[in-house]
Amino acid sequence: MNPVLVLGAGPAGLSAASELAGLGAPTLLVEKETYLGGNPKRWHYSLLAPDLRPAEEILGPLIERVEHHPQIELHVGSQVSSAEIAGNGYRISLRSKEGVQTREVAAVVLATGFDHFDSRRKFEYGYGHFPDVVDFKELEGMIHDDRVLRPSDGKAPGRIAWVLCVGSRDIQIGNPWCCRMGCVVSIKQAVEIRQKHPEIQAYIYYMDIRTYGLWEDLYWKSMQDYGVKFIRGRIGAISMAEGGRRLIATGEDTILSRPTEVPFDMIVLASGMEPGTGTKEASDLFHVPVGPEGFLTPKLSDMNTIDSGLPGIFLAGAATGPKAIPDAITEGMGAALRAFQYARG
Amino acid sequence: MPIVEKSLVRVQRTEQLEIDGIDVSGDWNTFIEPRVRADLDLRIVDWVRAQPQGDTIDRCWQCGTCTAGCCMHTDYGLEEFNPRYFIYLAQIGYEEELQRYAQAIWRCVSCNKCVERCPKGVKVEEVVHTIGTYLEASGRAPETPADRFDRAYTDNLLDRGILDEAQLFRSYEKLEGRKTPGRELLRMGAALLLSGRLHTGPLAHRTKGWRRMRPVLQGLLEEDLRRRRASARTSRPADGSHP
Repeated sequence: MNPVLVLGAGPAGLSAASELAGLGAPTLLVEKETYLGGNPKRWHYSLLAPDLRPAEEILGPLIERVEHHPQIELHVGSQVSSAEIAGNGYRISLRSKEGVQTREVAAVVLATGFDHFDSRRKFEYGYGHFPDVVDFKELEGMIHDDRVLRPSDGKAPGRIAWVLCVGSRDIQIGNPWCCRMGCVVSIKQAVEIRQKHPEIQAYIYYMDIRTYGLWEDLYWKSMQDYGVKFIRGRIGAISMAEGGRRLIATGEDTILSRPTEVPFDMIVLASGMEPGTGTKEASDLFHVPVGPEGFLTPKLSDMNTIDSGLPGIFLAGAATGPKAIPDAITEGMGAALRAFQYARG
Repeated sequence: MPIVEKSLVRVQRTEQLEIDGIDVSGDWNTFIEPRVRADLDLRIVDWVRAQPQGDTIDRCWQCGTCTAGCCMHTDYGLEEFNPRYFIYLAQIGYEEELQRYAQAIWRCVSCNKCVERCPKGVKVEEVVHTIGTYLEASGRAPETPADRFDRAYTDNLLDRGILDEAQLFRSYEKLEGRKTPGRELLRMGAALLLSGRLHTGPLAHRTKGWRRMRPVLQGLLEEDLRRRRASARTSRPADGSHP
């Protein structure tokens, strides 16, 4: 049996490779970065919602298993540079620093994931210009290392604001979709900070809170147990005040029906999820159609997000749209099963 | 809890109010207004949507990004100017509340920051002006000193095709039922005379050919007003559905 190609080694890809190997299928795991774990690893995600378990505890064993499994052939720092149909499977070229090699694969799992929105594109918020305006993926790392300090002067912030929907639900940016994660991750970050440093005040500027399903519990707890404050209104702009010592968030408190300008020591932008560069490349290589948002389109998205409708190609994780880590891992399992059935013939 | 935020309190003056036989006329800080709103009227949003400048009104989801950056609000401190609130009131058809802002709505300076930032692509500036046009055309907005001044100003211009400041002042005073002390009048008149702007009475200028021009302009203005009033009255489709 030819190996099954798994493209991308984030939560979904790791899970797919691990399951395929468990089924006894030879697996080719290709990752363009030099490490396994995708965005969670890259940005050092701290605790995961909803049960606030460390990201390492979830992804660590998965990475461990994939790294050492005899059925898994690992290609990090590699990319698929071309693909064509060969029999029931595909013939692909694998390009890495060592050169190009041609391989035949029996089936393909595309787990190419997402990129965090580049907050510099929302220029009104001054990200990249004001050092104390940070992206929430950077804050993950700070919380992880327990060093929540202002980048400008290294002092502990007294009051932090989160701005939700940065680069999501925004026609001006061209991203009209909801990122699904911004609300719950921001609330989780506020809770984490308030747990460790109750002296820091946490304010969240929201338009709607979308802690969907069972995550609602965390939203309630954040208010009832951790005193996180919520202001309803989108921030229009961020500016500097007090000679650059503090930031001003200008917004409308739509409940008071009047604008507010509140000084903060640090402002965190909940940047959205965009289709990853790998996702665009995968669409070109394997001719998987993309929707208007640029994510891969499953054949019947009302039924499942795994079947692409193309022979031997299966989808998993945030390649088909914003997704939480457990969802990506679950989809990786499903895609592995589908790919295994297809490869066995 | 006492209301400490003064700007939120609208002082209401009642000249003659009797409740259960007791005279309660005077100034009241706040009345508890009835909750029942039987007068929600969707004609306004239907009309605004039907205008080419107002067709993005249904996109608004009340996030407040427009008001957050609004320069009338932040730079000029005009607290009653709140584009998000205007659009909201229009959307739900709360015309009675909206009429309070029939004047303020025209204070927009069209900087278009709101249009630039709106995450839903609402053409806020155009929509807000369209709402203002509706309020004006509805003829239900309470007349304010600014309205009366507008009237005096237009009449004055139409009269001779050129502004006569002294005449404008007199007619506006008459509309307001007010009288300026003679000494003050003299001071202002002298200032106008010295600055060479006293074109009144025998000193008045006259625009050439104004006798023929005036009826044309007057006709156009009346026609425009008639058209807008008629359109604001008949905006609602008979079945009440969205156009």
